[in-house]
Amino acid sequence: MRVELLAPAGNLEKAKIALLYGADAVYVGGLSFSLRARASNFSLEMLEELVEFAHNLNKKVHVTTNIVVHDEDMSGLDEYLKELDRIQVDAIICSSLAIIERAKLLTNLEIHLSTQFSVTNSSLANYFYSEGVKRIVPARELSLQEIQNLKYNTSADLEIFIHGGMCVSYSGRCTLSNYMVGRDANRGGCAHSCRWLYDLYNKDKKISDNHDFQMSSKDLEIIEYLPKLLDIGVTSLKIEGRMKSIHYIATVVLAYRMLIDDYYNKELKPLSFYKKEIKKAENRLTSFGFMEGDTTIKQQLYNYRSEMPTQEFIGIVKNYDPVKKLAEIEQRNYFKKGDLIEIVSPKKIFKKSKVDILYDEDMNEILVARHPLQKLYINMDFDVKPYDLIRRL
Amino acid sequence: MRFITRLKTIEEAKKLNQFGIDIFCLDTDFTAKKISKFSLKEIEELQNEYPNQIYLLINKMIHEDDLEKLTKFLKSIKLLNISGIVIADLTVYVLAKKLDLEHLIIYQPGTMNTDTYSEKYFSDRKIKGITISREITLEEIKEFGKNSIELSLIGHGYLDMFYSKRKLVTNYLIHKQITGIDLKNNYNLRLNEEIRENEYYPIFEDDFGTHIFRSKKLISFNEMNIFKELIKDFFIERIFLTDEELINSIQLYKNQITMSEFLQKYPDYDAGFYYKRTEKVKGELDES
Repeated sequence: MRVELLAPAGNLEKAKIALLYGADAVYVGGLSFSLRARASNFSLEMLEELVEFAHNLNKKVHVTTNIVVHDEDMSGLDEYLKELDRIQVDAIICSSLAIIERAKLLTNLEIHLSTQFSVTNSSLANYFYSEGVKRIVPARELSLQEIQNLKYNTSADLEIFIHGGMCVSYSGRCTLSNYMVGRDANRGGCAHSCRWLYDLYNKDKKISDNHDFQMSSKDLEIIEYLPKLLDIGVTSLKIEGRMKSIHYIATVVLAYRMLIDDYYNKELKPLSFYKKEIKKAENRLTSFGFMEGDTTIKQQLYNYRSEMPTQEFIGIVKNYDPVKKLAEIEQRNYFKKGDLIEIVSPKKIFKKSKVDILYDEDMNEILVARHPLQKLYINMDFDVKPYDLIRRL
Repeated sequence: MRFITRLKTIEEAKKLNQFGIDIFCLDTDFTAKKISKFSLKEIEELQNEYPNQIYLLINKMIHEDDLEKLTKFLKSIKLLNISGIVIADLTVYVLAKKLDLEHLIIYQPGTMNTDTYSEKYFSDRKIKGITISREITLEEIKEFGKNSIELSLIGHGYLDMFYSKRKLVTNYLIHKQITGIDLKNNYNLRLNEEIRENEYYPIFEDDFGTHIFRSKKLISFNEMNIFKELIKDFFIERIFLTDEELINSIQLYKNQITMSEFLQKYPDYDAGFYYKRTEKVKGELDES
């Protein structure tokens, strides 16, 4: 059975982009019961639309219901779970025993256990499997060898994080944010206190310099380990980042889609090819996390500024007129006449072009595109489709 | 209500018992944030001397490699008639159940036991008890107690708020090429955040990773009338406390010294989350 590529989406547009660019499934949060409270979460109507969109493509939608509930959060839970069941979402991702038990009692929803529960071994995975949880998202602290052993020893499906941000703590076990700023890390309010700057003292002696003690980890990127993970036979490869841009989602998803397809077709290119594609949108330093076991300084972020420039996403194709050879696009970032651009399509096609003609929505010729979401027309000598993305080279 | 604390040495047990500690919680090979360690032989000796007064603490995250060793350990302690096994990772319950030891399990994950549904879940599974999570309010705590399971609370001392598998201090010292600082059993490390001048968060590193604690210690004296009705096991966490502060803490709850006397001597205490509701989403709170 082929592995599932599972992508995050903070809104409907991102979800559709992820599915079109090669994700087999997306995970999204509803308006309630989901972490990442600041991600643009989905109303039931939006979820329903997304489920229909995904199912028409023979793809899936997983809904995160992964907060650690307090009693006050239980209000409306039963009705919400029943609605998710009615609109036929494909799975819910939970960390709270209360939500798992209510879903089992009231619905036929497939239940996945969130990494928030930090499952680190097969005994616990098997326990939850016997309790009706079909899939486990293990702790991100597992090494490749541990994942292999876990897979060997459990009947549960495994969903493995392969790309994106990582908690520094075991997930679900941190209350730094609760204590330091009164925001509940396990109910969507995490203030990322683990990424702040600290001084370290030993007794009364300061060891650090100018608050340079940092706990931040580099983001996860384990392309080198993907062939092995595919050999192991995990069920799903998961990308993190419900708050990321559509350019990021499309680029990262497409790169992993190419890698997975090439693997199964026995046409794997040098891994540097896929890494290079990812870097067109990934602007954070990355490392392989716990894949080799305990982390070292190579997995830590010690530089205050770690973000690197990426290729700039300038617009999304809305339509194409093959007679006039004009593409209607929606502007997302500043660009100008004369810029060299690259068009990326879900069909894994990358084509280069140059902006020789630039019109505003009233077909007045302009020199620069400055306004986000503005409807524009640019020349395009080849066929482009809605949802193709345009980057400035 | 039973008062529980961790034991540092066998020799101090008698004294702590006299001051009013009912249960000794013993560190094991599977204890994170250790303050001591007891061999099976020592556990047996203590159990013989203090029958019905011994808990064991198994609070590290259990990885695949631990399963066999931990199962062996649980089989060994099955013969000792200890009174409880305090666990942070539900795996220990799964292993204990296979050995018919689930009646000894006290589930103390720090977070996670935030709702009364969890209380019912574990009551149905016939474990000994659950420890109510460290980040919920007094009003929320009052809703517990409607199921047949013992409730416990870590009500006093430095509570941890972060457990990472990463060796964050070791890595930092390597990064900075700083030598000469012994991290083994070093209980003197503190963190100070950039804009929180007078807040010092204890940080402790052990074989299992890095642990960070609240800057203020928790005190529950004013809430004891409520807890007496509700809480069966009241844990006093003694990590980073001097022996004298531990004794004074016990005396406080036994009404041998007053709250004002205690706070005059030890001012760095607060009521934790008892009266402080946390926000679920980014709201009006100033995070800067």
